[in-house]
Amino acid sequence: MWFLLMLVILLTNGMSSFGLKMIAGWGLPTTVKYPYLTAWYAGGLAAIALPMLLKGLRVGKTELLWGAVAGMLSIGGQIAMAVALSSGVPGHVVFPIAIGGSIFVVALAGRLVFGERMNTPTALGVALGFAAVILLGVS
Amino acid sequence: MGLLFCFLGAISFGLLGSVLKAAERRKANAAGLVVATFAWPALIMLVKTLLLKSGGRIPTKVYVIAVIFGICAAVASLAFQVSISIGKVTVGWLMMNLSAGVPVVVSIWMYREKLTPLKIVAFGLVLVSIFFLSWGQVIEKRATASTPAKGE
Repeated sequence: MWFLLMLVILLTNGMSSFGLKMIAGWGLPTTVKYPYLTAWYAGGLAAIALPMLLKGLRVGKTELLWGAVAGMLSIGGQIAMAVALSSGVPGHVVFPIAIGGSIFVVALAGRLVFGERMNTPTALGVALGFAAVILLGVS
Repeated sequence: MGLLFCFLGAISFGLLGSVLKAAERRKANAAGLVVATFAWPALIMLVKTLLLKSGGRIPTKVYVIAVIFGICAAVASLAFQVSISIGKVTVGWLMMNLSAGVPVVVSIWMYREKLTPLKIVAFGLVLVSIFFLSWGQVIEKRATASTPAKGE
């Protein structure tokens, strides 16, 4: 199950941002990103909400509250990166710091807040993955 | 000033991963959480779009592409949320970020982008990292299986 989930994450999350690259090559005005992102979020929302509705499941208060916090943090991160890029910091500096830093924050929270312990291969995998993410951002 | 925003971005995304783990600990339904996480930005982006002065007709293919990749993102978020209930949040979050290698590979194939030595090293590290993470998961699973349940 875990391996399947990791494969799904790797492929679907990787491709989720590819659309912006595709439309960037079509020579459309930069403001097209707003209707694009509206449809992007709405499409994702519908893909999960429709099966839930068909099964008679509802979104509770807990999900709405935590979802709101998560949504705001997601938008906050995007805005912070956009401001950094527009203030002249090159992409090969912005992406490694923002993405690598986020992994560091999650690893710290995982250990200190959620009490997650890693065995040696996992710790090695995280360290090498961290380096890979930085290199991908730089390249 | 720009660098400060880079770090703010890092903290914001890092807190996002941590908040999703905290929600999982509080037994939030994974699908419901993804719906709520997508609903708020969808609403904000819709308002932003409606406030924009119309700059001409947007081709239908833009919406088609957006919906397809939005579905990909939602499936990834759901898989991540389920994965952190059976595995570590650090590993799930790392996998979400390692996935950045996938569009790079697709770009090399689709747009004939150059495969630089740096990219080759990065891809190599991604593969080795995934190998170690999988190995670690196997060890953990074996250890859990060999630990007698409480009361036995």
